[in-house]
Amino acid sequence: MPNPFALNTSQQDDVSVITLEGFVDAHTAPQFENAIQQAVDAGRIRIVVNCEKLNYISSAGLGVFMSFIEEVRERGGDIKICGLVPKVKHTFEILGFQDIFEMLDDQPTAVRNFQAA
Amino acid sequence: MSTSLGPSRLEALLESAQLLHSSLNLDDLLRHLLRSVMGRLLITKGVIAVAEQGRMRLALVRGLPKLQVGEMFDESEIRANGIHLLLPIGDASAPVGMLGLAHPLNRTIEEEEIEFLNALLGIAASGIANARAHAETHELNQALDQKVQELKTLLDLVRGLTSALEPDDVAQLLMLTIAGRWAVRKYALVAWKQGHPPVMRLKGMELDKLADYERFNLCPDQMDDHIRVSDLPESNFKTLLREEQAEVIFPIKAGDDTTGGLVVLGPRPGNLSYSESDLEFGAGLTAQAAVAFENAWFVRETLERKKMEQELALAANIQQNLFPASLPKLSHLELAARNRPARSCGGDYYDALPVSGQTHLICVADVSGKGLPASLLMSNMQATMRALLGRIPSLTELATLTNSLLYATTPSNKYVTAILVEIDPETGQCRYVNAGHTDCLLLRANGEAEWLRATGTPLGLMEPDIVALMAPYEERSFQLHPGDLLALFSDGVTEAQDEEENEYGEARVADFLRPLASEPAEMIVDNVFTEIDRFAGSAPQYDDITLFVIKREP
Repeated sequence: MPNPFALNTSQQDDVSVITLEGFVDAHTAPQFENAIQQAVDAGRIRIVVNCEKLNYISSAGLGVFMSFIEEVRERGGDIKICGLVPKVKHTFEILGFQDIFEMLDDQPTAVRNFQAA
Repeated sequence: MSTSLGPSRLEALLESAQLLHSSLNLDDLLRHLLRSVMGRLLITKGVIAVAEQGRMRLALVRGLPKLQVGEMFDESEIRANGIHLLLPIGDASAPVGMLGLAHPLNRTIEEEEIEFLNALLGIAASGIANARAHAETHELNQALDQKVQELKTLLDLVRGLTSALEPDDVAQLLMLTIAGRWAVRKYALVAWKQGHPPVMRLKGMELDKLADYERFNLCPDQMDDHIRVSDLPESNFKTLLREEQAEVIFPIKAGDDTTGGLVVLGPRPGNLSYSESDLEFGAGLTAQAAVAFENAWFVRETLERKKMEQELALAANIQQNLFPASLPKLSHLELAARNRPARSCGGDYYDALPVSGQTHLICVADVSGKGLPASLLMSNMQATMRALLGRIPSLTELATLTNSLLYATTPSNKYVTAILVEIDPETGQCRYVNAGHTDCLLLRANGEAEWLRATGTPLGLMEPDIVALMAPYEERSFQLHPGDLLALFSDGVTEAQDEEENEYGEARVADFLRPLASEPAEMIVDNVFTEIDRFAGSAPQYDDITLFVIKREP
């Protein structure tokens, strides 16, 4: 029985919002990667990943963040993470992601953060 | 506890005990302890040392600018700095720490106060032990969290790999997993297997050159499971890795020289380094992926082989359709023919084509080689024959022109041997050219065997000019009388081998056909195939077998 997973992309002004739902694991990480790749290819390098409904993320899912952050920042953009539930946030923190990524409480804050910059 | 402690001191002790036990942070606890003591007794210089791994080190210093936290506890040095009283924290024989105090302003510490201090330190000792245990538990929990995370990562990767059918999918999963595990931004995976395009996944590292593994003398099978780039011996490989800020590599091992790969990782963020346990874990993940790569390559090869088999079957089908669906019905003559290829695609060919009126050209040909290339040449030969026939006045010219065309269109090691027999059913008059083909049999009604030997070189073998000059095709003729039998065949008949590799031979062909000559042509063909199979026994059929029988009515 595959774990539920859903991904939505939307555009809020010049910020791309990718919303993750359910489980990002080795099976679903490639879809997540494609979504970011498409945004980056289209020059949308201000990206917010909304994790409010994310229940689980594996290393492969975290690897997607790592695989783009370099390129996105080199081009003057960023990837910000918002809405992590405590359990998932713990996973990010175990692996030291808080030192690399800005993690914000909710999507409006994250989007505002881009616009203020 | 001494009764000499007044109520206010008992109260202070109680308050301290509560505070000391409520804090699980060692530093907070020590500060509180020293603060209470110095405040209570109006002391301006104090120090606490704590035992760490068997050594006493200064953990808190107040009013003693020459002493530094972290220094080793040295009693004489401490006394030299104005500390008069040293008390053990906890059991005096193995104290968890030491409390050092100067005398209060304008007086010395009284006996009664020392009792108070000892009571307080007894409480502090258990507080310190608790805080220590808590810190250790916290560290253990963190280590456990890391291990749990590793286990989850491994399980997730293994589950994901089961559905990765393409080598690129395997590379994607492995590298996402590794990048996520150590928060690495620069990494590379290069994997190779002979006969397949290299697999590459590069982020921030220009390491596609590594696919040329022979140039770098890379042999992952002989490498350690995990290698720090700094430990590599100097080489152009190491130089390249250094240029790309690579820190560690994990070889992808496959068990042979032409298959393998490398996972290369750049630095971890925040000055973190890769621990030994990290490296072992990475090697474990890579080993899982190595198996998945092998499987993916194998699946791809199987699919390609299947596809090729399907194409071969299709080619065999097309080729079978090149043989005449039925032989012409000719007056006074009975015809029967059969071909059985050694593989799914064969290189033999027979045909019976009308020339003019009842006159027909019977042809049996054998293309050099076997399998698909041979059958391609065979269809070329067939098309050539059919196109030329009717426009060419003689068999020699037909052979000469076919030779020229095949010579021009095929490599020199590909050629066709053929026997071309033109037959007039009304008169039984026959003319033939044998272009390097095996000798064929004319069995007279009286049982006498005559052999139609080669009258020229194989078609497409020799340059047309040389053929014209040295060995032009020669046409011969014979009369097919009533009761005579003409057996045209490929060398698959005479060169069929038994289990001891004895060849069937011309003599056996003639001897076997003689008593059968009066049977219907179709039955003769059947019998010859049965006879060859009987002779071969369990020996495999190496060559295509073709037999064309022409009988003139008695």
